[in-house]
Amino acid sequence: MKAARDIASRYWLPAGIAAFCAAVFWSANYFERVPPILKRGIQPSDFPQLVCGLIIFLSLLLALGKEAPRPKPLAREAMLSMALMAGFVAAAAVDLFLALGIFAASLSALWGERRAGVLLGVGVALPACVFLLFDQVFRIRFPRGVLTSIWYG
Amino acid sequence: MEAALSGLAALAEPGLLLLVLAATLGGVIIGALPGLNATTGAALLLPFTLTMDPVAAIAVLATIYCSATFAGAITAILINTPGTSASAATCLDGYPMAQRGEAGRALGMAAVSSTIGGIVSVICLMLAAPLLARAAYNFAPPEYFALTLFGLSMLASIGDGNPLKNLISGAFGILLATVGIDLLTDVERFTFGMSELTTGIGFVPVMIGIFGISELLLQSNALDAVRERIAMKTIRLPSREDYRKTWKTIARSSGIGTFIGILPAEGATVASMIGYNEAKRWSKTPEEFGKGAIEGIAGSEAANNAATGGAMVPTLALGIPGSPTAAVILAGLMVHGLRPGPAMFTEQAEFAFAIFWSMMLVNVLFFGIGLAGARIFARVTLIPTRVLWPCVFVFSVVGAYSLDQSMLDVWIALAAGVIGFFMRRYGFSVVPLAIGLILGEMLETRLGQSMVMLDEKWWLLFTRPLALFFFVLTAVALFGPPIWRTASKFAGRPANSGRKNDQN
Repeated sequence: MKAARDIASRYWLPAGIAAFCAAVFWSANYFERVPPILKRGIQPSDFPQLVCGLIIFLSLLLALGKEAPRPKPLAREAMLSMALMAGFVAAAAVDLFLALGIFAASLSALWGERRAGVLLGVGVALPACVFLLFDQVFRIRFPRGVLTSIWYG
Repeated sequence: MEAALSGLAALAEPGLLLLVLAATLGGVIIGALPGLNATTGAALLLPFTLTMDPVAAIAVLATIYCSATFAGAITAILINTPGTSASAATCLDGYPMAQRGEAGRALGMAAVSSTIGGIVSVICLMLAAPLLARAAYNFAPPEYFALTLFGLSMLASIGDGNPLKNLISGAFGILLATVGIDLLTDVERFTFGMSELTTGIGFVPVMIGIFGISELLLQSNALDAVRERIAMKTIRLPSREDYRKTWKTIARSSGIGTFIGILPAEGATVASMIGYNEAKRWSKTPEEFGKGAIEGIAGSEAANNAATGGAMVPTLALGIPGSPTAAVILAGLMVHGLRPGPAMFTEQAEFAFAIFWSMMLVNVLFFGIGLAGARIFARVTLIPTRVLWPCVFVFSVVGAYSLDQSMLDVWIALAAGVIGFFMRRYGFSVVPLAIGLILGEMLETRLGQSMVMLDEKWWLLFTRPLALFFFVLTAVALFGPPIWRTASKFAGRPANSGRKNDQN
């Protein structure tokens, strides 16, 4: 059982890369083909398939090489930071800057910040200043949301 | 000569000078902050340059590159944590000097050697880049294809990881570059019906993700790191005795750094490691290295700053990035509609020389700013990560969005950040991915053009002497190190491959 686990942990990465590239290689078969007069040297699928083939070959070599040391387990904060990013993606549908503010303050709190003033600065003042900078100076129009609509009218 | 003077005149505009001064300050702060480096800083600031005139935009990015590379020494010396990976070798002697109360002397030597290294390399850049561009002017697609392939083959030696992993990472970058409409045939590839993907995956969001957001996640995995800052009483220039002891080292490292910088994809980190090792090898007192030898600081710092000018030679003359930060600058050039290459020195020579002069200026500026403000910049290191990185995230997201005002770019940056984080966890450098993404389109286009030119007989690529020369160099870059390692093993010598993660 342990031997099987060791083999799986050693080969899953090269196998995963090769499988992904095999899928990309296969999907490239469905690219439109152009007639010889228009193909300008190579068909649209040729180059991506060549690169996929190269990656599959390199991952085979990787599998045959020395086993790399395994990374340390992910820290709790790293996992929660990624979870916060997923939350940011969901909240951005409501308002980009609201999501940024919540994410920034939550990340700061998650990483150990406890001072309310700092959390407010990171979660409210910073996104507001960045919004004003990009809106007023760089003339960037952000997607409408519950907060940005108040500004845009 | 006329172009050089016109470039100087373009830079003499007060607004631009102020911008370069502000960028120097910004670059020094970025470089002094552990975790942020020149590449991340340039990637994060790239969106801010979009509304600028191309000369100002590229001057800002080049300024960030030079000043952040220097400023890495501040944290290396004061808190034993290199602000940028290019300053890792500076820790070895800088921190012991600081511990015995000579932080000022160490920082002074770092500033002097960085300035000299930087100025030497910019002079080489001014002389070499137009010559290289002239030589490349007559390159046909097969030569360009072979040259790009050579540039990509150098990715194998980036960082301290497995060359195979670097090549896989680079090839993934090339694969990403195939997303969108194929320029040769107008056929859509990997767009999955999304109209926003027809123009391809943008360089900027990917770079913001793999350099900025992935670093945030790496930081979240190392929050318990404790840093001890050493107080600095005064900062002073090195003494005459120090100069006497180090001038040869500075001259040697400036040459080494410039040469390493010119090699495609090799950056300041490799240059500083080699500069440091050579300083030790040539020193009369090699036993002092690692215990606070001032020559060690000179060797590392002159080399890493010299690499910045060197790296801009292939970037501007051939369109092949000389380092990871040069890759971001190359992306900046492309975003502004400029195509680096031989034509830049005939059609936009004034622009190229304005960039050179701005790099020359920044090397003088950071000498003054670095010395005068080192105490203040050292305080920057006290900004807690729990405040700094949420700010970086906000700028990353807004920066990724602002290029095309597209939320898809934000999702691409986030995805690139998470992918980059896992790549780095499993020993894959993200730098080859960025360079592969930039060079991928050029590689494919040149291959297609070569096939047309050679009537689809690919083997004729090897009958062209210059292309063959680059293919041979590619083979040497790919197979030379393993052959050398095997030969060294048989000869009973350790093969030296002491490399650190290279992101500068």
